[in-house]
This record gives sequence, C-alpha cells and structure tokens, in this order.
Amino acid sequence: MARHPSFRARKAVPGKELSTQIEARIQQLWPRFPEGRAGQALCLPVLYLAQEQHGHVDAEVVDLVAARLGLTSAHVTGVATFYFMLNKVRPGRYHLQVCTNIGCQLIGAYDVFERCKKRLGVDNKGTSADGNVTLTEVECLAACGYGPVAQIAEREKPEIPLYFENLDATRIDAILDALAEGRVPTELGS
Amino acid sequence: MGLFDVKIISEHFDVPEARTLEYFERKGGYRSARKACGMGPEAIAAEVAASNLRGRGGAGFPTALKWSFVPKDADTVYLVVNADESEPGTFKDRHILYWNPHLLIEGMIVAAVALKVRNAYIYIRGEMARENKVLQAALDQAYAKGYLGERIFGTSTSLDITVYRGLGAYICGEETALLSSLEGGRGWPRLKPPFPAVKGLWGKPTIVNNVETLANLPWIVEHGGKAFADLGSGRSGGLRLVSVCGHVNKPGVFELPLTVTGRELIEDVCGGIKGGRKVKGVIPGGVSMPVLAPDELDVPFEFDALQKDERIREVEVRPGQKFDLGGNRTLRTMAGSGGVVVMDDTTDITQAAWRIIHFFAEESCGQCTPCREGTGWLAQVAHRIAFDHGRAGDVDLLASIADGIAGNTICALGDAAAWPTLAFLTKYRDEFEAKVRNAHRPKGAA
Repeated sequence: MARHPSFRARKAVPGKELSTQIEARIQQLWPRFPEGRAGQALCLPVLYLAQEQHGHVDAEVVDLVAARLGLTSAHVTGVATFYFMLNKVRPGRYHLQVCTNIGCQLIGAYDVFERCKKRLGVDNKGTSADGNVTLTEVECLAACGYGPVAQIAEREKPEIPLYFENLDATRIDAILDALAEGRVPTELGS
Repeated sequence: MGLFDVKIISEHFDVPEARTLEYFERKGGYRSARKACGMGPEAIAAEVAASNLRGRGGAGFPTALKWSFVPKDADTVYLVVNADESEPGTFKDRHILYWNPHLLIEGMIVAAVALKVRNAYIYIRGEMARENKVLQAALDQAYAKGYLGERIFGTSTSLDITVYRGLGAYICGEETALLSSLEGGRGWPRLKPPFPAVKGLWGKPTIVNNVETLANLPWIVEHGGKAFADLGSGRSGGLRLVSVCGHVNKPGVFELPLTVTGRELIEDVCGGIKGGRKVKGVIPGGVSMPVLAPDELDVPFEFDALQKDERIREVEVRPGQKFDLGGNRTLRTMAGSGGVVVMDDTTDITQAAWRIIHFFAEESCGQCTPCREGTGWLAQVAHRIAFDHGRAGDVDLLASIADGIAGNTICALGDAAAWPTLAFLTKYRDEFEAKVRNAHRPKGAA
C-alpha cells in the first residue's frame, strides 16, 4: 500500500534546509519549555517559520521540521494539516484573506468577496491565472466593529502585521490594483 | 460623572504611548505587581474572591473558585493566558493586547504570585501579527527593567512569560484544546474532569485565564476586592468590556457597567441602529450564544440575568418543547464573551444563521462524531433553506440535528453550534418556514 510521502523515514532532504534564523529562534525558545517537552512544543512555531521561508508546508518541509525537532513525520503532518494558517498548497505571491463571518457579512463582506472573485477570476481558495493572488475566505479575524476586514500575506516574506478594515468596493479595488502592481498597499492597512 | 466614566481597563485605549512601559508606570502601572509580590498568595486570593471577578472568556466562571482547584501541594503550577480571541463578534482582548499590553503583564504577575507560578505562557491568536509584535515589545521592556525574569522587583519572586502563537484554529480558544496546541499538537479538546487546574499543561496543574480577566487584577489589588464587587451587580463584580458590531452607528469596544441593557447599549452607547432602522435581533455574547429578539432587550447584559431573566424566552427544540440543558435546566441565553452582534430589520435571519452554522462546521476539530458530522449536516440544511432550496421538513430536521449534537461532545463547540441554531428557530421560525415554502422547486417536484 502506498504510504503518504511524509511518512518516509526521517532523513535529510536534499536541497532544502531550515534557515539560520529559524535555528536561532529554536535556540532562543528551547529553554522556555520544560526538559523533554521543547521539541514537540516547538512544532507549531517552527512549522510557521518554515512556511515563511519555503512558502508552504509540503512533505519535505514536514520531514525537515520532524528531523530537527526529533518528532515523527506523522505527528508533524497531523499538526500541519490541522491548522488553517499553514498552507498545504503553494499559494500565489500574495495571499488575500477576506473575512465573511457574521460581523462582516452584515455589512457587506460577501459583496467584497464576490468582487475579489470576479476581478481575480477565481473561486474561494483559488489562485489567479498569473499566479499573483490567492483568494481565501476566512473566519472571524476579531475586528468585527471595523469590517469587512481582510489580511494579506506575501509568500516567502515576513508577515504583514496589518488588517485592512472597513472594506468597500473602492477600498478593495485599490488593494487589488496594488497587488496587481506587485506591492502590498500598507498605506491602506491599520 | 456617571458610572459610564469609570474605567478599569480601557482608560488608555487609543493612546499610542500607553504601550510603553514609561507611560504605563507614570499612570500608576506595576504598583499593584510590586504590592502583590509583598502580599503573598493567600491575601491576593482573598481579594480576588471578595471581588466577585468572573471569567471574561465566555463561561463567566468565578476566577477565585477556579484558582482554588489547584492542589495546595503542587510543585509546579502553570499560568496560561487565553489570548486566542476568535469568537465571532468578539474583539475586546485584541484591544487590550494592542493598546495596553503592560496591563496584561501586570495582571499575570499578580496571578503568578497568587498561584505560585514560575513559568507562564500567553497563547495568542496566530492572525494577530500586529498584537504579537506589540506584546513581545512590551515583554522585552519588562524584562529589561527587571519586572520579569529572576527575582522581579528585587523580591524573591521569579516569573518568565513566553508568547506562543496559534496558527488559525477557533477550537484552540477552548482551554483544553489550547493546552493540546501549546504542547505542540493538534488542538484537540480533552475530557473534563480532570480539569486543567488539577491536570493541565504537561500533566501539571494549570490555570487558563482570559486576557480581560487578568487585566482586571491590578485594579483589584490596588483598590481591594470589595470595591470591585461594588462596581458590579449581584454575583458579578467589576465592569465589562463589550465589543459591538453589526448595524449600529458606532460599533467598537466599550467598558460598561454590567447593569447596562441591550437596548441601552444600542441606543445610548452605540448611537442607535444605522439609517434609523429597527433592530431585529441581537446576539449578546459571541455567536455561540442564543440570539435575543427585540422584545428581550431590556434585560441587563449580566451573566446571571441573561441566563435567568424570564423576559427572555426559553430556547425550544420545537414549538412547545423546551430544550433540555441537562439537570432540569432550560436555556435562555448567556453573556458569553461580550461580543454583541446587532442585526437590523433588513437582515435575512436565515442567512445570518447559516453563516454562523457554517463557521462551526468549518471549525469543528473532528474528534467527536456528533459535532464533526452534525455541524456539516446543519450547514448543508441551513444553506439550502437560506438560499431558497429548502425542502419540506427541513426546519424540523435542522432542530433535530442540533438537539442531537448538544450535550454529546467532549467540548462545548457542539453546544455552541446547536444553541444558536435552536434559538434562531425558536424566535424566527416563521422566517425559516416562509423560506422553505417559497423555495425554488425543481420541475416536477411537489
């Protein structure tokens, strides 16, 4: 029976490694956890950093993280597939995440979301044909009073600590225009 | 100066300098932490007990009682801050983290002294990248000043605080799922008992407290538990952060007395409904909580009142049959996480209900069959009703699935999906039935 590729024996993955920054972060965080618990406890933070480095979490990244932290690939796969913020599929250069949950829904989030779908020519979780933008409908981002709200991530770049709030047709158009030009409109974020 | 002017937590919201340790200290910050270090655990616990402080994460459980469950002879006790705010409609903790991170740190020091904690963790929502940065900067400042780490403030107390980021899973706001996640696994809830206070993080006694709960502690230490209790109402002490969203003129986060009613909240605090329209429904404490109809809004948004006030209808499984909460209790609603969602009379209740149910279906962790399968079925049926493809019997089907989930799962997510579903059906049944009656039928169908 074919096994999931991530269940292979732990070994180095040729051509891929965890960055020195990740190693430094591991060294920094390791003593924060009790003896014998740090390896597993670091599974989430290291997976997230590895995604920032490699763009998404595939079987190879799973193997790298498992080998470094002394975990089975099965455990790391279980974690990687559980959490929404870990991309199992390589996203476009920009990952536009629009909240449509109740607070945003009531004040027009689906109009914003439909506009994104139409302009990008994609469905939920789809990537535009030019590979530039992946559009994802997300759950509540805890900014309900200032919705509709979106968040943007840039692949293989440090995270963008901003929300894009009070979205309407004009503001989402400006965001989509900027992304098409190859830049994140941080001036529209807060 | 009225009651609305008293502020415990939100006084420095919207003041950017409030994030710096210097500003915070100038305004009296860290005085309570120093005082707590000299008070000793029993004295702090007594003040918290006298304060009637109740957990602000959703359950409203008395904080002192939760603390008292920690075994007295425990060698290691962990404090974990639940900063995984994800309940739709709730955005208050994010304000504390962003505007006043030192208040949380100070509250953690107070709790750590009371519980004899050496290592504490803040489990912050992964999406809150901005707040994570602010919080980390505040922690760095506190460490640099000697307010965290070895022998804080030069006393014999030592405390380390580590920030741990979630990665996008609503269920990790449930305290046992949070612990599973913090240990580096999937966010799967655990059966209770044992409660985390007895067997929590890595099997050790662990207190999980909400951000707002802890942020109240410095005030309690400074002014005494009784003063805090006097600010409150009945068995609930203090004020409360309420976040309001939806169809109001002035949405936002407000720190209010617990005696404020839903109607006062909408009219006096939030400037009324947009466009002068009428209110149709209000969710009082995050989407897990049963919705209130317009004639139920004169009840104070206080923990006990929302559960017991007879002006609020009991949730039914079907007309005439009350939903059984277990132990002969019926369900009205609850104050939950303080996330208030206001819907005006243009709202399609069936679509709002579907979106809430869809959320729970997305976020079910998949451990328990009634929730994993049931929330998916609920979402399918609610979707076809809301979008004009409902079938005869769908309204009863929705209620029967919800009733089958409630009470039959490890954690409260199953209930959180079932309760609002049943409440929407109890209070807006006509709308659901009209949708089904007027649904598009395929050719040839009855």
